[in-house]
Amino acid sequence: MNFYFKAEKLTVGYDNKPVVENIEFALQKGQVLTLIGPNGSGKSTVLKSIARQQKALGGDVYIGGEPLKRFRPRELARRVAVVLTERPKPELMTCEDVAAAGRYPYTGALGILSEADREKVRDALRTVNALDIKDRSFSEISDGQLQRVLLARAICQEPEIVVLDEPTSFLDIRYAVEILDTLRKMARERGTTVILSLHELQYARRVSDLVMCVKDGKVLCIDTPEAVFTKEVISRLYDLPEGYYEELFGL
Amino acid sequence: MRQQQQVTRRTRYIIVAIALLLLFAALVALNIGIGSVNISLGEIVSNLFSGSTNTPESDILHKVRLPRLFAGAILGGALALSGFLLQTFFNNPIAGPYVLGISSGAKLIVALVMVFVLSRGGTVSSATMIIAAFAGAMLSMGFVMLIARKVKRASVLIVSGVMIGYICSAITDFVVTFASDESIVNLHNWSQGSFSGTSWDDVGVMALVVFLASTLVFLLSKPIGAYQLGESYAQSVGVNIKAFRVALVLLSSVLCACVTAFAGPISFVGIAVPHLIKAFTKTAKPLLIIPLCFLGGAVFCLGCDLIARTAYAPVEMSVSSVSSLIGAPVVIYILAGKARK
Repeated sequence: MNFYFKAEKLTVGYDNKPVVENIEFALQKGQVLTLIGPNGSGKSTVLKSIARQQKALGGDVYIGGEPLKRFRPRELARRVAVVLTERPKPELMTCEDVAAAGRYPYTGALGILSEADREKVRDALRTVNALDIKDRSFSEISDGQLQRVLLARAICQEPEIVVLDEPTSFLDIRYAVEILDTLRKMARERGTTVILSLHELQYARRVSDLVMCVKDGKVLCIDTPEAVFTKEVISRLYDLPEGYYEELFGL
Repeated sequence: MRQQQQVTRRTRYIIVAIALLLLFAALVALNIGIGSVNISLGEIVSNLFSGSTNTPESDILHKVRLPRLFAGAILGGALALSGFLLQTFFNNPIAGPYVLGISSGAKLIVALVMVFVLSRGGTVSSATMIIAAFAGAMLSMGFVMLIARKVKRASVLIVSGVMIGYICSAITDFVVTFASDESIVNLHNWSQGSFSGTSWDDVGVMALVVFLASTLVFLLSKPIGAYQLGESYAQSVGVNIKAFRVALVLLSSVLCACVTAFAGPISFVGIAVPHLIKAFTKTAKPLLIIPLCFLGGAVFCLGCDLIARTAYAPVEMSVSSVSSLIGAPVVIYILAGKARK
């Protein structure tokens, strides 16, 4: 098997204090990996380290066999894009301006967009159904629209891997399902590898090829949704009392 | 509709740019033409084209008004850019070299150096002044950055900056008061903020420093733009955050130091100008904003200097008094606007 994106003995954390240790996974192009687990289990820290937003404490992540730390910032930005939980509040920027910020690794020294760049920005906005709001001010749109535009920004980076930290939080079901469908489509049609964290287990089951369960600084397991979404694994992961699992999944 | 939006944004920008250029030209003409000594238009024109002769009118033009004009334009632009960089750095619309105490820090060290050197009968070169001012600016900036690291609230940052400014000004006052008589005369005007007494040599040095720094700022347009979405997103598209932040601190301090070394602290230009430019052009794109900020700063300071020189002629007010009167209400307006949201 040709695994394009790998983590080996990866340990992540802050100031030499490990948060999650010994993470191992291997993904092919176009696969979707979802991190689930209780609040505070370290999912965000794992995602940040995978995107090199913070330094790994041990081990490394490999893209096409190259360790993450070997990449220059611009090269990395052409391969890995992120959608974070923080909500930027830029002044006087339209949704199109925000999406266009994703073209950064491709534009010249002054960041001037070419006509081809603009076309890519419009394509990205069309992909996430946000072309109609492109001239609206970014600070005045709803949470659902905001998440669409931030995803468009990531698509503009033409990444091989997209890392998303809880992209469906605060979204109503329509927007959430739409975002996940877009991610699935990117994975299938463009071969983009998608790594995300989710709170809603029903979404995780729907979107993932692989699911990683994170709890108490450890990776409990990493497996297919069929293997993970069993009473045993989920009850252990979230410390569910007897009977809750059946209720949750309507069994 | 889409085309129209594009056109209106662009048209707006062009109109603002042309208006600023016209204002700039008008203020240049007024600043040359108006002063405590009346010089006729004919004399001015013939003097400007024939070069320096030895008449008193020619001396006033060439040794007083023209260097002062250049100082106002160059240093005004520098202040506006310094403010723009600090607003980017702290992600705070009312950050500026004056409110954060950076101008006052620069003033303090320059005053110390001047008193020390003058009391030993030495003279202070403009390069020494700039270096001293830069050291002072970095000192205040260091304090402000320490506070910013501990406290995330924007208002706390500003209040701390204002307090640092007061402390530095108070120490400067002590130094000036206890200094020997002749140095006080030199120091007093300068420590209030004034473009008077600029020589051509000064103009040469400030032009060089400000030109280099401003060019670098312009070349940073791209990462500054990326930084508007926050540090994490900027990093994710390939901005080297550490290097970028160091560049912002150094450039804003150099620009502010240069202004303070030659003209003393001048208030509120750094906040008011970038804000007004963004409000008029309705864009925050650094590539577009940076040149207009410089031009706007020049216009603002030339206007303030004109008022400072002529309102109670022959007595001069400090430029800083005039710029406060115009700039401070802009700050209040920004704060009120933020509170409403």
